[in-house]
Amino acid sequence: MTTQATSAPAVARGRLRRVRLSGLAQYAGFVPALVLFGLFFVVPLALIVGYSFWETVDYNVVHHWTLDNYRYFFSVSTYVSTMWATIWVSVAATAATIAIAFPFTYWLVRYVPRSTQRLLLVLVILPFWTSYLLRVYSWLNILGDGGAINRFLMWAHITDHPLSFFLYDRPAVILVLVYLYFPFAVLTLYASLERFDWNQFKAAMDLGARPHTVITRILLPQMKAGITTAIIFVFIPVLGEYLAPQLVGGAQGVMIGNLIVNFFSGAQYTRGAAAALLVAALIVLLLIVFRRSLEVEDATRA
Amino acid sequence: MRELEVVSQHRRLIRTFLGGWAVCVYVFLFAPIVLLVLFSFNANKYGTFPFTGWTTSWYGQVFGDYQIKDALSTSLRVAVEVTIISTVVGTAAAFPLVRSRLPFRSGVRIAFTLPIMIPGLLIGVSLLVLLTSTFHMQLSPQTAVIGQAIYTTPFVLLLVAARLQGFDPALERAASDLGANTFNRLRRVVLPLIMPAIFAGALFAFTLSLDEFIITLFLIGGHNTLPIYIYTQVKFGITPEVNALATLLLAASLVLIAIAFVLPAGVRRARVAVQARRS
Repeated sequence: MTTQATSAPAVARGRLRRVRLSGLAQYAGFVPALVLFGLFFVVPLALIVGYSFWETVDYNVVHHWTLDNYRYFFSVSTYVSTMWATIWVSVAATAATIAIAFPFTYWLVRYVPRSTQRLLLVLVILPFWTSYLLRVYSWLNILGDGGAINRFLMWAHITDHPLSFFLYDRPAVILVLVYLYFPFAVLTLYASLERFDWNQFKAAMDLGARPHTVITRILLPQMKAGITTAIIFVFIPVLGEYLAPQLVGGAQGVMIGNLIVNFFSGAQYTRGAAAALLVAALIVLLLIVFRRSLEVEDATRA
Repeated sequence: MRELEVVSQHRRLIRTFLGGWAVCVYVFLFAPIVLLVLFSFNANKYGTFPFTGWTTSWYGQVFGDYQIKDALSTSLRVAVEVTIISTVVGTAAAFPLVRSRLPFRSGVRIAFTLPIMIPGLLIGVSLLVLLTSTFHMQLSPQTAVIGQAIYTTPFVLLLVAARLQGFDPALERAASDLGANTFNRLRRVVLPLIMPAIFAGALFAFTLSLDEFIITLFLIGGHNTLPIYIYTQVKFGITPEVNALATLLLAASLVLIAIAFVLPAGVRRARVAVQARRS
C-alpha cells in the first residue's frame, strides 16, 4: 500500500521530466527577453547611473567621476523644495487613494454578490485601459478656466471670473493623481480582501467586539500586506509623474518629473540623470522599507 | 433583543453609507470620461460648457485633418510592430518562467514586472540617452517602438504565464505517451490551449501602444502618434476637435480591451460546454 502511494508520484515526476526540456535548453525562451530587456532596459538604466556621476564639458559628457550633478541639484533651492513637494504630494495622493479605495473595496467584497463583483471590478479597471493622456486631459474639461466647475460657479453667480484654484495648483494635481492610480489600489486591496474569512468577523462580534474593534484588531492586521502593496503600486508611479502636474499643476504644481524633463529637453543630460536617480533612489528606499510585505505575485495575477 | 436591533440598524446604516460611497466612486471614475464624450458632440466651439446643441461636425473635422491622418498611420504602424515584438518575446519567456527549474522564480517574475512598475519617465529618458548619445541613432517611430515594447512585453508575459500555470501538465504527458515529439506537443497541444492568452496579450499590447504617451514623447522625435498629437494641441487649450479625437481613441481602446477580456472567458465557456456534453 505504502510503496504504491510513494511510487505513483515518482512515476509521474519521471514522465514529467521527459516532457520537460533538459539542461540549458529549458531556458532558451528567455533569450529574446534577455536581449530586449538587457540591452534596452538594464543597460540604459545603468547608463543613467553613470551619467549622473559624470561631467559635462562643453556640451560633451566626459567619463570623469564627480558628485557635481548632485551638488548642483541640492544647491538650487527651487529644486530642493520641488523634491520635498513631490514627496508630500505623493504621500497625500497615496493616502487619499487608499482612503477612498478601502471603503469601496470593503463594500465590494462584503456586500456585493460574488457574481456581480467581477463586473464591478472590471468597471473600476476600465479607465486604466484607456489612454493615460486622455484621463488627465479629461479633467481639463472639469477643472479648467472654462471648465465645468468654473462655468457652474459663474452661472450660479457665485463668482464673476474663473477661479484658478481648481486648476494650476497642487490640490488639482493630487485629485488627478488619485484618479489615475485608483484602479491600482482597488485591484491590490481586492486581491487581499477577497481571501478574508468573514466568519472571523461574526465570531468576534458574537464574542462582544464592537465593529470598529473588529476592523482594527482583526481585519486590518490581516490586510497589512495588501495595503502595503497598494501603497507601493500607487506611490511609485506618482513619484515619477510628469503629465498631471504639467497639464493641471501649472507653475505651482511642478514635481520632480517636470524637472527631469526640463533637464533632458535642455540637453543637460548629466544633471537630468542625477535628478532621475533621486527618484529611483526614493523608489528603492521604499521597496527596501516595505520588502517584507510585498505581494507582487498576487497583485499581478489579479 | 433590543441591543440586537440597534446593532442591525447600525449595520444597515453602514451598509447604506458604503453603498453611497461606491456610487460616488463610480461617478468620480466616469464623470470626466462621460463629459469628454458629451463635449465632443457639443456645438459650442470652445469645447466646453454650456451645451449649445448637438453636432457631429467635430468628427467631420477629425476625419478631414491630414495631421491626424498622419498621426493615426504612425500610431498604427508603431502599435503593430510593438504588438509583434512583445507577443513573441513575452510568450517565449513565459515558458521558462513557468516550467524551467528556475532558481528565484518569484524574484525573476518581479524583475519582469519592473518595466511596468517604475515610472515611464525613467524608461523614456534612459533610452533617450542610450539611443542618441551611445548608439547615435536618429529618433524615429522605430526608437519609439523599442521603448514601448519594454513597457508592453511584461503584460503579455504575465498573461501567458498565468495561462501556462493554469493548465494541466497531464495533457502534455498524455501527448508525449502517445508519441508526440516536442514540436508536435507544442503545436498540437500547448499552443491551442494558451492561444486565447496570447491573443489577449497581443490585444493588450496593441492598446497599450496606441495609448502610450510618456515613453513615446521622449523617443518619437519629430513624428506624432495620436496621444502626442493631442498633447501638442492641448497646450493651446481645449478644442472640440480634440474632444472628438479623444472620444474616438477612447472608443477604440475600450472595444479592443472588451475583446481581450471577453475572449478567454468565451473560450473557457465553450470548453466547459463541450466537456458537459461529453460527460
